[in-house]
Amino acid sequence: MDNPLAGAAANRRSFLSLLGLGAVAVAGSGTLAACGEKAADPGTTQQLDKLQAVLPKFQPLELVQPDIKGVSPVANGFTKYPSALVDAITEKPGRGSTITTMTPFWGQVPAGPGQNAYLDAINAELGAVVTPGVQDGNTYADKLNAILPARDIPDVLCIPGWEISKIPNFSEAAKALFEDLTDHLAGDKVKPYQMLASLPTVAWGNAVWNERLMAVPWPTDGPYPWALFYRKDLVDAAGAGIPKTAQELYDFGKKMTDPGKGVWAFNDVQAMVEMIFRVPNSKDGWGYKNGKVLFKYETDEFKAALEFMAKLYKDGLIHPEVVASKGADAKLLFSGGKIAMIQDGVGAWLGMQAEQQKVTSGFNMQPVPFFAADGGAPLVWGSPDPVFYTFVKKGLGKERTEEILRILNFVAAPLGTKEFELVEYGVEGKHFTKGADGWPVGTDLQGKEKADQFRFLAGTAPTIKYDARVPNYVTDLINWENAAVKNLEVDPWLGMKLEMPAEYVKVKQPTEDKVKDIARGRRPLSDLDTVLKQWRDGGGETGRAHMAKALSDAGR
Amino acid sequence: MALPAVLLLLVFHYLPTLGNVVAFKDYDQWSGDTAIEAIVNSRWIGFTNFAELFADSQFWDALRNTLLITTFQLVFFFPLPIALAILLNSVVSSRLRGFIQTVVYLPHFFSWVLVVTFFLQMLGGSGLLAQVLRDNGLQPWDVMTNPDTFILLVSSESLWKDVGWGTIIFLAALTAIDQNLYEAAASDGANRWRRLWHITLPGLRPVVVLLLILQLGNALSVGFEQFILQRDAVGRQAAEVLDTYVYYLGLLTQDYGVGAAAGLFKAVIGLILILVANRVARRFGEEGVFVRS
Repeated sequence: MDNPLAGAAANRRSFLSLLGLGAVAVAGSGTLAACGEKAADPGTTQQLDKLQAVLPKFQPLELVQPDIKGVSPVANGFTKYPSALVDAITEKPGRGSTITTMTPFWGQVPAGPGQNAYLDAINAELGAVVTPGVQDGNTYADKLNAILPARDIPDVLCIPGWEISKIPNFSEAAKALFEDLTDHLAGDKVKPYQMLASLPTVAWGNAVWNERLMAVPWPTDGPYPWALFYRKDLVDAAGAGIPKTAQELYDFGKKMTDPGKGVWAFNDVQAMVEMIFRVPNSKDGWGYKNGKVLFKYETDEFKAALEFMAKLYKDGLIHPEVVASKGADAKLLFSGGKIAMIQDGVGAWLGMQAEQQKVTSGFNMQPVPFFAADGGAPLVWGSPDPVFYTFVKKGLGKERTEEILRILNFVAAPLGTKEFELVEYGVEGKHFTKGADGWPVGTDLQGKEKADQFRFLAGTAPTIKYDARVPNYVTDLINWENAAVKNLEVDPWLGMKLEMPAEYVKVKQPTEDKVKDIARGRRPLSDLDTVLKQWRDGGGETGRAHMAKALSDAGR
Repeated sequence: MALPAVLLLLVFHYLPTLGNVVAFKDYDQWSGDTAIEAIVNSRWIGFTNFAELFADSQFWDALRNTLLITTFQLVFFFPLPIALAILLNSVVSSRLRGFIQTVVYLPHFFSWVLVVTFFLQMLGGSGLLAQVLRDNGLQPWDVMTNPDTFILLVSSESLWKDVGWGTIIFLAALTAIDQNLYEAAASDGANRWRRLWHITLPGLRPVVVLLLILQLGNALSVGFEQFILQRDAVGRQAAEVLDTYVYYLGLLTQDYGVGAAAGLFKAVIGLILILVANRVARRFGEEGVFVRS
C-alpha cells in the first residue's frame, strides 16, 4: 500500500505556497496557537451505581398476570386481553395548560388538537391541551441539531437513545436546556407518580446526566439490538436449512443466491457476522479480556469475522443494490423475496409480517436462533438501555413541571388500565373495535389520527402484547428471546455511562471506512494491522485509556 | 421594489455569514444562554482550526478528489449543454422540440436517491444490463462499485440529471441572435458549419464565458448526497469530497470550528477563482460577471 501521507504532504506544500497561505498555517500552528490551543474534550464517566440516591424508588404494579413469562431482561408476554380494566388514575392530571411536545414518527403526520378525535379524547381525560409536534423519525437528528443549539425546544421533548449518542457533549446540552427532575422523582418523591415508579430501575439509571435525574426513560422490552431474519416460506421451499455455524451460513448464502432469478442471500450482515464470531461489543465495541481492555478491531475474533465478510462480498452473496447505494431499501428487497436473509432490528418483525402477509400469501419471516461460528455457545450482544428519553424544558416552574410529570404518569399506565387502552388504541367504537379474541382492532380512523403522539412520551413497564394481525407473534418472539438470555454478553462497564473523548470520536469514521475497504475487497486483509496502528495513534489509545480508567475507578 | 430581495439577502445570506467567525474560535455551543451568546463567549483561537484542517491528510484527499472531479466535469461535460442547445435549436418542429426539452429537463427534478437508484436499476449488479448479459451467458461487470471508474460514473449521473437543465440559458441566448445574420450569411453562400462557427458560437460567447466564471466559483462544491449515497460502494479514497469531509468531521463529531474553517477555505478559493477568471475574460475582451465603473 502506498503511504497516503506522502502525497498529501506534497499537495499541502504546493497548495499553501500557491495561495500564500503557508505563512498563515505556520503561524497558526506556532505563535498564534500559543494563545489559542483548543480545549480537548476528555470525555466523562458516570458510575451509575453510586447514584442510587437520585433514582426513583421502584414500586411494582401488577394488574394483569402475564401469559408467557419472559426471562429477565426479556419482558413478559400477554396473549389474553384483560377482561376488567382498572381506572388507575382518578384525579385529572392536567390544570388546563397548553403543553407542546415533540416526538418522532415514521409515517404520515396526523392533524393536531381540535381536528383529531384521538388527541381530543385523551386531552379531555388529561384536562390539558397537549399539542404534539410530530417529526419524521428518519431525519429527527437534523431537527434536533437545529433546535438544541438554538435553544428553541418544546415543553416536552422525546429523544431516541441512538440520537443522544450522536450528540457530543450531551451532558452540557442537558444542563443548559432541560429541567432537573431529581427533586421531583428521587426516592420516595416518586410516590404520587405510581406508574412512573413501576418503570425498571435500570432504565432510570440511564436517565442520569451530570449525576442528576434529567429524563423519564422509555424502557426497552427486549435486550437484543440485531437479529437475522429469514423468509421461512422461501427457504423451506428451496430446501435450505437454517444455519448453525459460520460454514453453514456461507453454504446457505451459496444455495439461496441465484442472480438469474434476481435473488441474493444477504443484505449487509456485518454486525451479525461479528456477533457470530464472538466479537465483543460492550459500549459500542469494547471488551475486557485477560486484564486488558480491547477494542473489537484488535481481537482475533474480529479478524475472522472480517475475513468471512470479505468472502461474502467477494463471492457476490450480498445484494448488489445494497452494495452499491446507501439509498437501497433492504427491507423492501427482503419482503419482495429478492433477499433471503436480512440483518435488522427486532422491532422490524411485527410490522413487516403484518403488512406483507396481506401482499404475499404464505409470507413468513422468522428470526434465526443465535449461533456461534464454531457451533458452540453463542455470544449475544445486548443492551438494557432505554429506547427513548423524555425531557422537560428548563424553567417552566414547579407547577407546570409537576403537571407534565402527572401527564407522563398517565401515559405510562400499563396494560390492564383504562388509561392504557385510551392511549394505545383510542376510543372504542371510533378508533377500535373489540375482535373475537377480545383484543382491540384498529379502525381506519385510528390509522389516520394516531401517530404515537402520547406513546412516545412515556413507555409502560415492559410488556410484549398480542397483536391480532400476527397471532403467534408473542409466543414466537418470547421463545426466541428467552433462549438467548443465558448467552448475553456480560458488559464489564455495566451501570456506567460513558462520554468518549473527542479525539477517539474523531478516529471512528475514518477507521470504519478503512474496515469497509477491507470487507469489500478494496484492500487486503493483511492491511488490518496498518489500519489498527493508525487507529491506535489517531485516538484509539486515548479511548482505551478512558475505558480502562472507568473500570479501575469502579474497582473492577 | 428591491426591498424584499434585499431583506432576503440580509436575513438568509449576510447575517449567517457572520457566523463564520466560529472558524477562528474554540466554539462551545453551550457556553451561554443563547446561541449568539455562545458564539460571543467562545474563546478566540486564531488560525488553530485552519492549522488542524491543513494538517489532516484526509482533508487533502478530499480536496484532491474534489479538484479531479470538478476539472474532469469542466473539460468534458461543460460543453455538452451547449451542443445539446444548438442541436435542439435546429429542430424545426416546435412540438417535437418541446417534447425533447421536457424529457431532458425532467431528471433535473429527481432527487439524488432516485438518480442513483435509476443508474443501479440499469447498470448495477442486479440491474437490466447485468440481467441481459447473464441471460446471454456473459459475466456482468459492475460499474457501480469500481473505485477506478467512479469519476466517470458520478459525472455521467450529473450529466444525465442536469444536461437538459443546462441548455435553458443557452437556448435563450440562441434566440437572441439576430436571424438576419443567418439569412445574409446563407445568401453569401456560407454553409451550415460556417454559419455555426461564425454566427452561432460568437453569439453564444458572452453567455458561455459568464457561466464558465460562475461555474469556477462553485468549483469546490461537486455535490454531497450523490457522494454520501455511493461512498460505501467505492470507498472513502474515491468518494470523499470536501462537502462530505465537512459533514463527517465537522458535523458528525460536532467540531463546528474546523467545519467552518473548511467552508471558509472553500469560499475563499471560489472567490479567488472567480476574480481570476473574470480578469482573464476581460483581458480577452469579454464583459465578464462584473465591471469596475
